[in-house]
Amino acid sequence: MPEPGRISALERWVHEFLKVPPEPHIPEGSPGSTQVFRAGANYYRWRLFVWFMSHLWIAVLFLFLHFILTKALSHAPVLAMTLFRALEVIAVSVFLFMAFLTYYAQRLNYRLRWYIITDRSLRIRKGTIFLEELTMTFSNIQEIRVSAGPLQNLLKIADVEVHSAGGATERGGGHIGKFEGVSNANEIRDILLERLRQYRDSGLGDSSTPTHAPAEGAMEAGRTVLAEARALRQLVAAVRE
Amino acid sequence: MSAPIPEAIAQITRPREELLKYYILRAIATMFAFPITMLVLYFRYHTMRYRFDSEGIHMKWGIIMRHEIMLNYSRIQDIQLRSNFIERWLGLARIEIQTASGGSDSDMTLEGIPDHDAMREFLYSRMRGAHHPHEQATSSTDSLAGILTEVAQELKAIRVAMEQRNA
Repeated sequence: MPEPGRISALERWVHEFLKVPPEPHIPEGSPGSTQVFRAGANYYRWRLFVWFMSHLWIAVLFLFLHFILTKALSHAPVLAMTLFRALEVIAVSVFLFMAFLTYYAQRLNYRLRWYIITDRSLRIRKGTIFLEELTMTFSNIQEIRVSAGPLQNLLKIADVEVHSAGGATERGGGHIGKFEGVSNANEIRDILLERLRQYRDSGLGDSSTPTHAPAEGAMEAGRTVLAEARALRQLVAAVRE
Repeated sequence: MSAPIPEAIAQITRPREELLKYYILRAIATMFAFPITMLVLYFRYHTMRYRFDSEGIHMKWGIIMRHEIMLNYSRIQDIQLRSNFIERWLGLARIEIQTASGGSDSDMTLEGIPDHDAMREFLYSRMRGAHHPHEQATSSTDSLAGILTEVAQELKAIRVAMEQRNA
């Protein structure tokens, strides 16, 4: 289990080699309003599970091909068989190497994730080789979604998505900010809703309440102007007489 | 609404030279299509022009296929700062800007911006909702009250002057 605070020498080397900035930039907001969330510890386990299952499929496929082809080549000349075996060794070593790399990538993927909320905006940083930093203001948020599959439910993690206006696709371009694998989805959802409540005009569409209600000072000053104007009119009338 | 923009940003008109290096690497990655990709990217780099004014961004590129995009800061929905490790080696990053139009592909991608972090923060500061909702409201009504108070003072001065002439 990778601990959040401790960075191994290998990890540091990877960060430096790939020029990954160690910390995300915090967007501007009111002082003291910034909250930084990280993916839950179970998110790492979940990613490892996904990694394991996908590699298991490939391994099964390899075994299947191995037996089928060995049987098919049983009467082939020795040279063909040796060539086939050599190919197999290459394929398996490439597979193992890639498996190790992707296993390590899960670790980085889990660690290099920040979900930052200020009182005005949110920023989501993720990725190692392909780095992404999304910035969105609460004024532009259209909807919030919380979703979790059965296994994610068991692991008590969920994804919180915030959508801005405009089409978005599953492969994820813009318009969606995803708090992936958080263990406190409800807390995050409540904070987001609370922020949205402060921005009643968030998203597109008419706001239900008038945002330009006259302030107290303006009313008072208006009354003074009225009184003065009236006095002036009376004076002018008096002068004419 | 349209406050003047920082000098450093107003001066940006061309992408950095590193962008051409990145384009060359990108073209090499396409292998056999290299001559075509290189040609397209070469002209894209050399015709790319930016203009940042107080309202929004103008960007244009291309000779045969000419593109010109204009968008207002206040229409920005979200900003993505993206980079792969090759771009980071060259000190580059893409700023992808989304407006509320359809599609998840970015509406405008700023490439080769000299100080992309500063640019991102600048765009963020011009986005709708980057400032506190009450900040503007109070300042505008405050100034409205101020104006009204001044009007009242003017009127009062007229009255006083007329009273003195009458007397």
